[in-house]
Amino acid sequence: MSRKWLSNFALAGTIRLLIMNSEYQRIIGNRVEVSTALNSWKRVTEGVYLHKFGIDPYEGDLFHETPIGLYVFTLMQEYLPQWALFLLFVIVDLTTALCLAIAAKHYAIELATKRKEEKDENKRLSKDVPNTSALYVSAAYLFNPYIILNCIGLTTTVFTNLLYSIALVSMTRRSVLWSCASIALLTLQGLYPMSLMVPATIYVATTAKNRKIGIITMLIVFTSILAILFAVSYCIMGSWSFLWSTIGFILTVPDLRPNIGLYWYFFTEMFEHFRWLFIASFQINVSLLYIVPLALRLRRDPMLLAFSYLAIAAIFKSYPCIGDVGFYISLLPLWKHLFQHMQQGFIVGCFLLFCTVFAPTVWHQWIYSRSANANFYFGVTLAFAIAQIFLLTDILFASVKYEFAVQHGIDKKINGNEAKLLLE
Amino acid sequence: MRIHLACCTMILISFSMSCHTWEITDNFVKTEHSNNWAVLVDTSRFWFNYRHVANVLSIYRSVKRLGIPDSQIILMIADDMACNPRNPRPATVFNNIKQHINVYGDDVEVDYRGYEVTVENFVRLLTGRLAQGTPRSKKLLTDEGSNILIYLTGHGGNGFLKFQDSEEITSQELGDALEQMWQKRRYHEILFVVDTCQASSMYEKFYSPNILAVASSLVGEDSLSHHVDPAIGVYIIDRYTYYALNFLEKVEPSSTKTLGEFLKVCPRDYCLSTVGVRRDLFRRDPDKVPVIDFFGSLRPVELTTNIMNILPLKSNCTKIQEFEKKYNYVAQFPEIVSQYT
Amino acid sequence: MTISRILVLFTGLINIGTCNNAYNDFFDEELMLKPLSSDHVYAYFQFTTIWETENRVETLQHSHLFPRGLGEIIGRHNVEELHVTLTEGLWNYQKWGYPFHDAGPGAEVTAWFNKDVTNIEEEWKGLTNALAGLLCASLNFVDTSNSMSPEFTFRLTSVTDRPVNSSHLRYSSLPREIVCTENLTPFKKLLPCDSKRGLATLLNSAHIHNTNYHSIGIHFRSICRNAACTRTSLELRQTVSLIYDTMIDANQDWSIRKFFGMGLKGACPLATLSNIYVDISDNNTNHIYELTPSPSAKVVSLRGGQQNEIAVYDIRAHSSRGIFNIAAVHSAPKNNAIYYPSILYANRYIIGYGQERGSLVTKLYNNHWQALDIILLENIPWYLLVYLNSITITCNEQRVHPLAQRYLPGRERKSPYYLELILRLPPHSITKITIDMDYLFLKWQEYPPDANHGFYMGPAIVTALLPIARNYTALPLDGSTITSSFNASRDAYLVQLRTESLLISLPTPDFSMPYNVICLACTAVALAFGPLHNISTKRLVLKRIEKDWKGKLFSFFVGKLFGAKKKQD
Repeated sequence: MSRKWLSNFALAGTIRLLIMNSEYQRIIGNRVEVSTALNSWKRVTEGVYLHKFGIDPYEGDLFHETPIGLYVFTLMQEYLPQWALFLLFVIVDLTTALCLAIAAKHYAIELATKRKEEKDENKRLSKDVPNTSALYVSAAYLFNPYIILNCIGLTTTVFTNLLYSIALVSMTRRSVLWSCASIALLTLQGLYPMSLMVPATIYVATTAKNRKIGIITMLIVFTSILAILFAVSYCIMGSWSFLWSTIGFILTVPDLRPNIGLYWYFFTEMFEHFRWLFIASFQINVSLLYIVPLALRLRRDPMLLAFSYLAIAAIFKSYPCIGDVGFYISLLPLWKHLFQHMQQGFIVGCFLLFCTVFAPTVWHQWIYSRSANANFYFGVTLAFAIAQIFLLTDILFASVKYEFAVQHGIDKKINGNEAKLLLE
Repeated sequence: MRIHLACCTMILISFSMSCHTWEITDNFVKTEHSNNWAVLVDTSRFWFNYRHVANVLSIYRSVKRLGIPDSQIILMIADDMACNPRNPRPATVFNNIKQHINVYGDDVEVDYRGYEVTVENFVRLLTGRLAQGTPRSKKLLTDEGSNILIYLTGHGGNGFLKFQDSEEITSQELGDALEQMWQKRRYHEILFVVDTCQASSMYEKFYSPNILAVASSLVGEDSLSHHVDPAIGVYIIDRYTYYALNFLEKVEPSSTKTLGEFLKVCPRDYCLSTVGVRRDLFRRDPDKVPVIDFFGSLRPVELTTNIMNILPLKSNCTKIQEFEKKYNYVAQFPEIVSQYT
Repeated sequence: MTISRILVLFTGLINIGTCNNAYNDFFDEELMLKPLSSDHVYAYFQFTTIWETENRVETLQHSHLFPRGLGEIIGRHNVEELHVTLTEGLWNYQKWGYPFHDAGPGAEVTAWFNKDVTNIEEEWKGLTNALAGLLCASLNFVDTSNSMSPEFTFRLTSVTDRPVNSSHLRYSSLPREIVCTENLTPFKKLLPCDSKRGLATLLNSAHIHNTNYHSIGIHFRSICRNAACTRTSLELRQTVSLIYDTMIDANQDWSIRKFFGMGLKGACPLATLSNIYVDISDNNTNHIYELTPSPSAKVVSLRGGQQNEIAVYDIRAHSSRGIFNIAAVHSAPKNNAIYYPSILYANRYIIGYGQERGSLVTKLYNNHWQALDIILLENIPWYLLVYLNSITITCNEQRVHPLAQRYLPGRERKSPYYLELILRLPPHSITKITIDMDYLFLKWQEYPPDANHGFYMGPAIVTALLPIARNYTALPLDGSTITSSFNASRDAYLVQLRTESLLISLPTPDFSMPYNVICLACTAVALAFGPLHNISTKRLVLKRIEKDWKGKLFSFFVGKLFGAKKKQD
C-alpha cells in the first residue's frame, strides 16, 4: 500500500519537474487558460521587481496579489534559485495532494459511520475503503492534467490550492483555528472562498456541545483573523491602495484578457450603460445567490456543500483558471458512491476533453494565424462552463437520489407499477 | 480677425447712422432670418468613400464662396482624403476627372475630423449640449433667427445613416434632435439636404416646423456615383451633389435663383434616382425663396435709429508695475549622478 | 490690402482708446534653405514675434503683432511655455542631420503651466481643447490617459526666476493625427501678414504636402529682454520645416518657384527682418551650382567645429524689381558625396508575432569617439502592459545599467507607462533596449471604427548634449532668430530626436456580437440557476408514470397480447 503511495508521489513529482525544466514551461506559463491576471507568475515577478525599486506595484495594472503574498513572493524570489523555486512549487503541489488524501480519508470514515447509524445494517464496509478513497483523491490530484499544467505554469493557484486543501482537512478535523485561518487567507486573496466558512461552521457546529457558541466562536475567530490579515497588509504597504487592486479588481472585472470563464467576452461586448448592472448580477450569482439554499439543502453533508461552493466559484468567478477546475475535479472520487446515480458523466467527460483540445487550437487561429475570431474561443469557453455546470448539477441530483435510495431502497416502483423520481 | 472685421463694419454703420439719422426704408429688411449657418457632414471613413468627402467639400466650397464665413460653417469629415498617402495629388480633392474644381481649396477649416465624427458629437452639436471646454469653432451657436443648411452624405439605408461604418443615426433620432432644436429656438428655418442611398427615409420622421428637406433618392432607390477617376482609383463624386455643385457654381451672392430651381437640379435621367422633397413642414413656397437664403450669408447687422455713444471707454489704465528680477535659463540637461557608483 | 489697412486703423483706434502704449513688439520672417548631402533640400521657415511685455492675462488680451487668438488661450490657461507641432513623415537623422525643431509624427503638445496653477489637469484639458479649435486638429483627444510629466527630457526653455520641477509640465503625443491644409490655414492666419504678403505667401498647401517631410510648429516662451536679464519678453516662433526631394529632376536644379509653386512678391511690411538664407557650404564639394540672383551678402558661420557658408538675401532689396525667385543651377553633375553621418541617432521596432505579446526594441547608435550621455523617454500607451522586470539594456553583448531610471506604471484608461532612462553610450556603439509587453483586450466600444488598422504608439524621445555641432542647426537657447545661430558656439549642443511611431495591432473581438454574447452567457448562468434552484427548493418523490391515451392504448394491447401468451403458457 505504502509503496503505491510513494510511487504515485514520486511519479507525479518527476513529471512536474521534468516538464518544468523543459522549454514547454514558458509556453504553458503564458497560456491564458493557465495564467490569469490574478495568478500569473510573470506578474508576480513584475510586482516584486517594482516593490524592490520602491514603486508601489498596486499603482500599475499588473499586480493583483495581496501584500502578504507580495512579502512572501519577495522572499522567495530573493533567496531561491530557479531550481529551488521549481522544487518548491512541486513540493507544495504534492503537499496539497497529501492534505486532500487526509481529508478524503476523514470524509470516507465519516460517511461510513453515518451510513451505519442511519441504516442499522450488517453490511460492513470493508476496512480499506477510507484508504482507497484517499488514494484515489490524491491520485486524481497528482495526475490531473489541469493540476499538472497549473503547477508547471508556476501560477500562484498552486499556493491557493494548498490553502484550500488545508481548509478542507481542518474542516473535517473540526479545527476552528486552522480552518478560519486558511479561509481568511483565501478570502484575502480571492474573496469568493469566504463561502467555505458555511461548511466549516456546520462541521464545527454539529459536534459542538452548544451550537450557538460554536457558530459564534467560528465567526469571531474568522473576522478577527481577517482583520489581522488586513492590518498586516496595511502595515506592509503603508496604504490601502492594495484593496482596489485586489478585491476591487476581482469585483469590477476591468481586465478582459480571455480566460476559461464567462466574464471576459461578456464584458467585452457589453453595452456601457448596462455594465454595472451585469457586473453586479454576475457577482451576486457567484458569491451570494447559492450560499443559503445549498447550505440548507446540503446541511447534512458539508463536504458536498464545500465541493459545490468550490465548483460554483471555479465556474463563475471573474478570473478562473484550470487550476481551480482541476482542484474540485480531483475531489470527484469522494463521491464514488454517487456515480451510479449520475446520468451525464459521459457527455461531460467528452465536453471537457473536446474543450481542452479545442481551446488552444482556436486561440492559435484567432491570435496568431487570424483565421478565426474571438467567437470561436468564446464558444469553447462557453461549452467548458456548461460542461462544468452539468457536472455539478448532476452530482447534486445524484446526491439527492442517493439520499432517497438510502431511505426508500433503490427500487423505483409504486405498488408494483412503474414510477419515476420527480422533483416537486 | 474675422470677428474684428464684423465688429468694425457694425460700428462703422452705427456711427454713420448716428451722424445722419437715417430713416429706414420699408423694403430694407426683406428676409426674416438674421444669420446663416451650415452643418456639413461626411460620415464615411476609408479611401473607397472618397466621393463622400468630395460631396461635402463641394457644398462647403459653395457656401463659403457665397459668403458664409468659416466660423459659421461646421464641417465634419470622417477621414482624410486630401492628404491620404493614396492621393496622387496631395492636398487636393477634385470634383471631376478633368480637375475642374479643387473643392478642397487652399483655405479650409475642418471642425470635426476623423474619429470625432460620431453620432453623439453630431447630435450634441445640433442640440447644443456640448461638453464644457468645447472650442467655439465646434459649436453651433445659432439662434431663432438662424437659417441652417444641414447637408449629410454617407452610406445609408431605410431609416438610418451610417457613421464611420461602425454606428448609425436613425431618422427618428434625427427628427427628435431637430425638434429639440426647434424647442430651444435654435433655428428659424432649416434646409436639410441628404445624399445617401434611400435618402428620403431620413426625413420621413421629421415633425418640427420650418424644415425643407431634400433627398437624393427615394426609399428603395440607391444614390449613384457620377464617375471614376482612374488616377485615384475610386468613384470621385455622387451624381446628386455633382449636379447640385454645377448649379451652385452659377449662383452669385446677388443672384435671384430660387430654391425651386435648386430642387430641380437633378432630374431623374441625370441622377438615375428620384430626388425626394418634403415641403409640408416648410411654410414658404420654395419657388419664391432665394437660394441665397440658405447658401449665402447675412452679416449680423443690428439697425438702430438711436444715437450711440462710441467714445473711448474709460479704462482704468493702471500701469502694470514690472518688477526687476534676475531671470535665468534653466540647465537643459540634468546633472548626472549615477545611482550605481 | 484695403482690409488690412482698415484693420490696422481699427486696432490702432482701440489701442489709443486704452493705454496709449507704444508698440513694443517686433516681427521677423526668415527662410533657411539647406541643401543636404542626400540630395534633399531642407526648407525651414521661421516667423518670430517678440513682444516686450510680461506674461499676464491682461496684457495678452490686447495685442498688435502677436496673434490674439493664441494670446487669449495662453493667458486664460496660465501657460508659461507652449510647443505644438503637427508633423507628417519621419525625419531621417542619419542623412539629414538634426532639424531646427524636432517633432514626432502626428501632433505633439508640450506645455509648462505657471507656478501658481493648482488644477493642472483641468487647465491642460482646457488648453488642448482650445488649441484643437484653433488649429483644426483633434488635440481634444489629449487627456490624462496619454499625457505625462517627464522629469528629465523636457526642460523649461523660458527664463525663470525660481527653480522648476516637472509637475507643471504636460506632454502628449497623438501619432495618428493627420496634417493637412486645414491645419495650415489657421496656422497662417496667426501671422501678422496672414498669407497675403511676405514669406508666408510661399506656404501653398499643394506644394507643402507633397514633400518627404513636413512639420508645422508653434513655440511660445519667455526670453530675456535685456542683457542683464532683469525683464522678460514673450517670444512666439512659428515654424515650418519641409524636406524637398531634388533627385526627381535629372539636373537637380531647384528654385523657390519649383518648391513653392510661385516666386516671392515681397516682404511682409510689418516685419523688421525678412531674410532668406541659403546654406552653400557644400557648394563646390558635393554639388557645383550657382545661385541666381547672387546673394546680398555671404556669412561664414563657425560653430562647434563646423564651418558653414551662408548666402543671405534681404527680400526687401530684391523684391522691388517684381517677383523674386532664388534658383540653384547646377553646372556639373553631383560629385561623390563627402558624407558626414550624424553622431547620434536611434530607431525602434517591435518584435514578436501574434496579437498576444511582443517586445519593444529601441536601438541607439553612437558614432562619436567619445561616450555620450543620453536621456531616453519611452511613452507607452496604457493598452500595452509593460513588464519592467524584462528590461534588458545591452551594448556589445554586455549588459549596461542605466545611470538613472524613472518609471511610473500605467493604468488602464487612466495613464500611460512612463519610463525615462539616463544612459551612457560607449564610443562607437550600438545600445539595444528591449522590454516585453502584453497586448490588452479592450472593450468593443473602445476600438476605433477602423480597429483592424491598428493602434499607433508615439515615438520615444532621445535627448543628448552633443560635444560637436556637426549637422546641427538648432538655435541657441538664448537666440530667437535664425541669425542668432550663426557663430553661436557653446560648450555643448542640446539635441532631441524622436524614433519612429509604431503601429500595433491589438486583438479585436467580433463587433457584431453584443446581443448574441449577452444571450449566450446569460443562458449558461440560467443553466446553473435552474437545476440548483430545483435541487434546493424541491423534494424528490416517486410518481407513477401517467400515460396519455396513446400510451394507454398501446400498453392495453401489449398487455392483452402478453396476457394471452401467459395464459397459454
